[in-house]
Amino acid sequence: MNKTYWRSLNELHDKPEFLEILHREFPQAAAEYPDGISRRRWLQLMGASLALGGMAGCRWEKEVIAPELSRDPNRIPGVPVMYATAREHAGFGEALLVRSYDGRPTKVEGNPEHPASLGATTQFAQASILELYDPDRLDSVKHRVDGKEEPKSWADFQASVMPLLERSGDGGSIAFLVEASSSPSFADMKKRFLAKYPAAKWFEYESISRDHDVAGAMAAFGQPARTHLKLADANVVVALDSDLLRSHPNALVHTRDWAARRDPDHASGMIRLYSFESQFSITGANADHRVPVRSSEIAAVLATLESLVEEGLGSAEAILAKLAKESEPRTKTILAAAHDLVTHPGTSVVSIGPGQPPALHARVHRLNARLQNVGKTVIYTDEPNGGRPSHVESLKSLVEAMRAKMIGTLFIVGGNPAYTAPADVDFVGALKSVDHPIRLGGYDDETAVLCEWALPMAHAFESWSDTRTYDGTVTLIQPLIEPLHGGRSAIETIALLLGDTAPEVSSELAKSLGERIVRRTSLAWVGSDEAKWKKSLHDGFFADSVLLPVNVTVKPEIKPGEEQLGGASPTNGKLEIVFSESSHTFDGRFANNGWLMETPDFITKMTWENVAILSPKTAEDLNVKDATLISLEHAGQKIELPAYVLPGQAYGSIGVQLGFGRRMAGVVGGYVPAELKSVGVDVTPLRSAPGMGFASGAKVVPLGKEIRFATTQDHFSIDPLGDEEIQRRSHELIREANLDEYKSHPDFAKHVVHHPPLLSLWKSPLNPNEPHRWGMTIDLAKCTGCNACITACQSENNIPIVGKEQVTRSRELHWIRIDRYFRGDKENPEVVCQPLTCQQCENAPCEQVCPVAATVHSDEGLNDMVYNRCIGTRYCANNCPYKVRRFNYFHFTGYLDKAKEGNEILRRMVLNPEVTVRTRGVMEKCTYCVQRISSAKIQAKNAQRAIVDGEVRSACQQVCPADAIVFGNLADENSRVAKLQKGDRSYALLGEINTLPRTLYLARIRNPHPALAVARLKPHGQEHHQEDGHEHGHEHPEGVDHAPAEAKHS
Amino acid sequence: MATAVVNPLDVTIETPGVRAPLVTGGHDYAAITEMVTRIPLDKRTPIGWWIAFIPSAIIAGMFFAAISYMICTGVGVMGNMSPVFWAWPIVNFVFWVGIGHAGTLISAILFLFRQNWRTSINRAAEAMTIFAVMTAGVFPAIHVGRIWVIYWVFPYPNQMAMWPNFKSPLCWDVFAISTYFTVSLLFWYLGMVPDLATLRDRAQGKIQQFAYGLLSLGWTGSATSWHRFEKAYTILAAISTPLVLSVHTVVSFDFAVSQLPGWHTTIFPPYFVAGAIFGGFAMVVCLLVPARAFFGLKDLVTLRHIENMNKIILATGSIVGYAYGMEFFVAWYSGNPYEGFTFVNRAFGPYSWAYWTMIFCNVVSPQIYWFKWARTSPLISFIVCTFVNIGMWFERFVIVITSLSRDFLPSSWGYYRPTQVDVMILIGSFGFFLTLFLLFCRFLPMVAMAEVKGVLPHPEHSAGKSGH
Repeated sequence: MNKTYWRSLNELHDKPEFLEILHREFPQAAAEYPDGISRRRWLQLMGASLALGGMAGCRWEKEVIAPELSRDPNRIPGVPVMYATAREHAGFGEALLVRSYDGRPTKVEGNPEHPASLGATTQFAQASILELYDPDRLDSVKHRVDGKEEPKSWADFQASVMPLLERSGDGGSIAFLVEASSSPSFADMKKRFLAKYPAAKWFEYESISRDHDVAGAMAAFGQPARTHLKLADANVVVALDSDLLRSHPNALVHTRDWAARRDPDHASGMIRLYSFESQFSITGANADHRVPVRSSEIAAVLATLESLVEEGLGSAEAILAKLAKESEPRTKTILAAAHDLVTHPGTSVVSIGPGQPPALHARVHRLNARLQNVGKTVIYTDEPNGGRPSHVESLKSLVEAMRAKMIGTLFIVGGNPAYTAPADVDFVGALKSVDHPIRLGGYDDETAVLCEWALPMAHAFESWSDTRTYDGTVTLIQPLIEPLHGGRSAIETIALLLGDTAPEVSSELAKSLGERIVRRTSLAWVGSDEAKWKKSLHDGFFADSVLLPVNVTVKPEIKPGEEQLGGASPTNGKLEIVFSESSHTFDGRFANNGWLMETPDFITKMTWENVAILSPKTAEDLNVKDATLISLEHAGQKIELPAYVLPGQAYGSIGVQLGFGRRMAGVVGGYVPAELKSVGVDVTPLRSAPGMGFASGAKVVPLGKEIRFATTQDHFSIDPLGDEEIQRRSHELIREANLDEYKSHPDFAKHVVHHPPLLSLWKSPLNPNEPHRWGMTIDLAKCTGCNACITACQSENNIPIVGKEQVTRSRELHWIRIDRYFRGDKENPEVVCQPLTCQQCENAPCEQVCPVAATVHSDEGLNDMVYNRCIGTRYCANNCPYKVRRFNYFHFTGYLDKAKEGNEILRRMVLNPEVTVRTRGVMEKCTYCVQRISSAKIQAKNAQRAIVDGEVRSACQQVCPADAIVFGNLADENSRVAKLQKGDRSYALLGEINTLPRTLYLARIRNPHPALAVARLKPHGQEHHQEDGHEHGHEHPEGVDHAPAEAKHS
Repeated sequence: MATAVVNPLDVTIETPGVRAPLVTGGHDYAAITEMVTRIPLDKRTPIGWWIAFIPSAIIAGMFFAAISYMICTGVGVMGNMSPVFWAWPIVNFVFWVGIGHAGTLISAILFLFRQNWRTSINRAAEAMTIFAVMTAGVFPAIHVGRIWVIYWVFPYPNQMAMWPNFKSPLCWDVFAISTYFTVSLLFWYLGMVPDLATLRDRAQGKIQQFAYGLLSLGWTGSATSWHRFEKAYTILAAISTPLVLSVHTVVSFDFAVSQLPGWHTTIFPPYFVAGAIFGGFAMVVCLLVPARAFFGLKDLVTLRHIENMNKIILATGSIVGYAYGMEFFVAWYSGNPYEGFTFVNRAFGPYSWAYWTMIFCNVVSPQIYWFKWARTSPLISFIVCTFVNIGMWFERFVIVITSLSRDFLPSSWGYYRPTQVDVMILIGSFGFFLTLFLLFCRFLPMVAMAEVKGVLPHPEHSAGKSGH
């Protein structure tokens, strides 16, 4: 092999040539001149590893452009092809479609045919395409002995490891530590390996695990069972520390079902959601009633609920009577929840989160059974691999076995246990007792450097495999591109160890080993029916492979709990600490992913950092100020991290996010040996095996040092004046009513703002007969604020990341952002969120002020940005009332020009060829995905037909699991968007300044329990709109008669 | 030849029926010529000039160094951010354009109104105008993202077949500023021609003779020359007069035409013009108080001049103060909640320190001019006018930055912080301005000799009795 990539960051960063080039070539290095530190991070992000001048001979040495003599039948150069594939995330499959341009995958979408995707994806799946092209991925087989590192080949590895396997006889000294996987092929390979080496040991570890779900079902039913929630059929959902809409493996389906039932006009009525949780989850933020309770108090909440349900099943009236008398808000909410549960038998759901102990899970199963939900809204199926020990137990027994010198050869497949193992399980220490640790993984990370062999694992988009989504559907993973770094998948690696060539499948049918293995496994589903296989591969999954319902009964010994609410408040030293997955890095696996690092957390709006979240009252008690450093102690361990005072955090509970402080993630996430500082703080030292979810006994010491957060909202502590104004405005910006208010006053949203008649200086230049008038609606009743749209937009539109210091200066470039406002009580606020993109105003303030006409209106109503005409006066951004315009303060994409060779060139491969890469000094903003509009227009024109509704979908719309965003042609009266815009709930944000936005919002509707409902609309007199001669906020397009709305109103 | 008699009268005292002389010291024509031409023709540059010039030139160098650095790197080296997309460069721009008002006002408007006291100060004030507009012009150019295509703002025939956007106030700005600069420059230069000829005639060195000769355009001093000169001067004064009002009106349109609360207000044009005259006169006082002392021009630039300018400062300062109050009233009276908040936020929000600095400097400090002793004290004038200059800078800071930092959607609110580059560019702009002004003082006639001679007490009358 003639590849001479740099082998490690270490090697690269130590080279004097590198340093020299770095200083010479990167004027951006000085870009952030005033901030000393930022210079370093800037380099780390953008430039550091680009400078590979002088390193010759890589695969892109020559580029020859020539027409193909014979072309593959389904391939037209420049026309993208979508392939159905999937990836695994913490053991569960995510069904995807990946867009490929001339063999280069560039964009991930959900698989709309797939029952577990429905066309949507998570934010992580969106960002996985960036991971594919991450230049820091492990790019060759590495052999390390006594601190010496040598590049080797797979053949060397095979030559070295095969004797070990042979010597082990029945495999007694062999062990595997694998990450969770639901792949049937992987399970098959495991079976084959254990058949050949029956004494080999097999361990599985995942640091963020659904173990308690499994153990809870086991405890309740005596057999493994997986719980499936049918939110589409539920009227009431009670979530106990349970994030159904985000971190649950089936969250996409939950969100779609939940959102469908958030439509106030839904035939079955609106769903009502209660949430009891210690820190804001997406689910809690979207609940009709949310109560912050410490995670350790969830048991008491459940016990109270259980006893009330028992009581209420006898007489719901009794609960209602209690509810009327009760004044304490928390108890009141529990009473209301209990009342709703007992009055909705068979159409309610109680769900408990994975952090809660299995015993509580068992009680929740009992409660659901009592409420007759089983078989209706709660369905049980078999749990594949249900009998396995829990992940922590598994890791513990591995560590014991390693310590006892029982393991001579350890294969670590995926995962990063050296980083994720809890503090009291000394994985790193025990690994030293293993003679031959071997690691197959994507990166040369904390675990890989401790191993004798580091083998590059192929990315999901580079390999054949399969997986099962939460519902059990067997989903195929097919490669989109040859492995960029010669990596191999887990199944191929095990096949290599076994000498297995999958001879059951003819090599004529399937050339590659991985494909043969997958096809061999598929025989169980499609037999040898070639047509069926082809269809499954095309669709991405085997139809009818879902898990089938099983009949389980709750064991009679599962009894309601007796915990009492209202225990003593925890004092310092006994504080609760809750470990949550990071929305940026999950458990650290995405730490080197810039898109995710820069996506603001949905509630804190933090980027590039993790924090300790405290409620305002907790902070006051502990004398901790917002955005200062604190020391957090637990179980004898101590870490320092910044405090973030967040309204709505449970009192006495401290939330910390896992997945930061990676020492060897890469250029983005930090690589300490090369002096690239870690991003954020590693909180695993505080995490121990018994308290993987939450633990008590934490102590906080304020250190006082102030920190400037890289948040995308609330950049500074708001003064009371500003705070009051935000409260006032939020009701106008995000218009909201209770369901009954909406029913009696459906067009309330159009009457929130009163203003004088709107007049314009200019005549509308738009042609009313234009066949395409693009518009969008965003349904605030459905949007959960999950951030998937941000990453989808970033991927579709080639939006660069800008780094922490630039975010601190509010210079992030995201074209879509999600505004989040808190309302009401600081300890238990309501949260509302609002996605904001360019509103494509018909009367656009930005267009009028540009001195060079660089932003102009298209005939179809888009507010077009002409990048190469822009001189960067930024006047348009000043005049944009929505502040959705983004400016390239530096040459944020400069690294693309400079990357000439080596791994760095990979960074370019992620770019969407249909979208211009912007240069420094120009303004940019949302285009409504104009490239997608154009491509649909071309296709329609070629086929000599009109564009059909739903054919053009913006990237944010396509990814949205809640289906909150609808885009389409307003000129087509029957289009979904046109109907929604004409509907009662639509309103224009800041319509009173006469911008005539093409994006309208649909007002948010809440569905509170009647006993807890707070009026959201001001009492509406009959007279208010008649004599004053003022218009109301009727923001219709020109020429639409106001009369019907007025008539309806009076 | 009148004998030079020391005028015993204090020129700042108004005696009924008697006009105070505009020039004191009882100088005759020759003495005036000598007094003014001595400065540029002096072969030995005074040490004091060097002491002022060298630091100014170094600071000007820093100005261009910082700008070059910014152009090479990106405008992100300044503190501009979202939502404060315009920050110090625009503050500085409006500040300097404002300064550039007094000169033409003194020259043109006071000329047309026959305010003859202007003759002693108009040359320096016009020079100040030219240099201030030059300094101001740097900012809109350098703050754009891609300065290398800045010429697209001009309407010129091009292969793109593109006009600039005539709807944009920035486009109007380009025309307003460039017209103002051109006319001011011509007016200043034209007025200087007879004096340049005087220098040419008195110059000793070859280079001086050549340079002044070239600049004086063959002036002969004939009656025809004078006749045409007077006509041209009057015409240019007439052209300049509306420009004085229009430039800052157009600059104010940059803000008033936008929809941003705190910018979108109809009071801006008169308020900006008054503010500009206010700030411009303050800068003239700041420059002339030390200059008249240093160059020995106290008889030409008399206390009465200082007092008159201070009176204008007091009047325009009061207009500005009234405008500040009226903005609040309108914000409340309009019932527009966004505008209402913007003004409350100015006074009590995170930038209230800037607001109250502005109020103190612009509204409170000139009030001392109600007292004659303060008006006629060069030291107090210098101090108050420095305050006014600071205050006028802060006025633009308040308008530009405070309004932008909190606009419609609270989600995008932010707090602007300048960087070192911002500070270097602001300080550097003073260096650039002073460098130019010092060069002017050294090499060009600082006082309009020909015009001053026209307002001297007539030699036939006994000096000191009356003006003219």
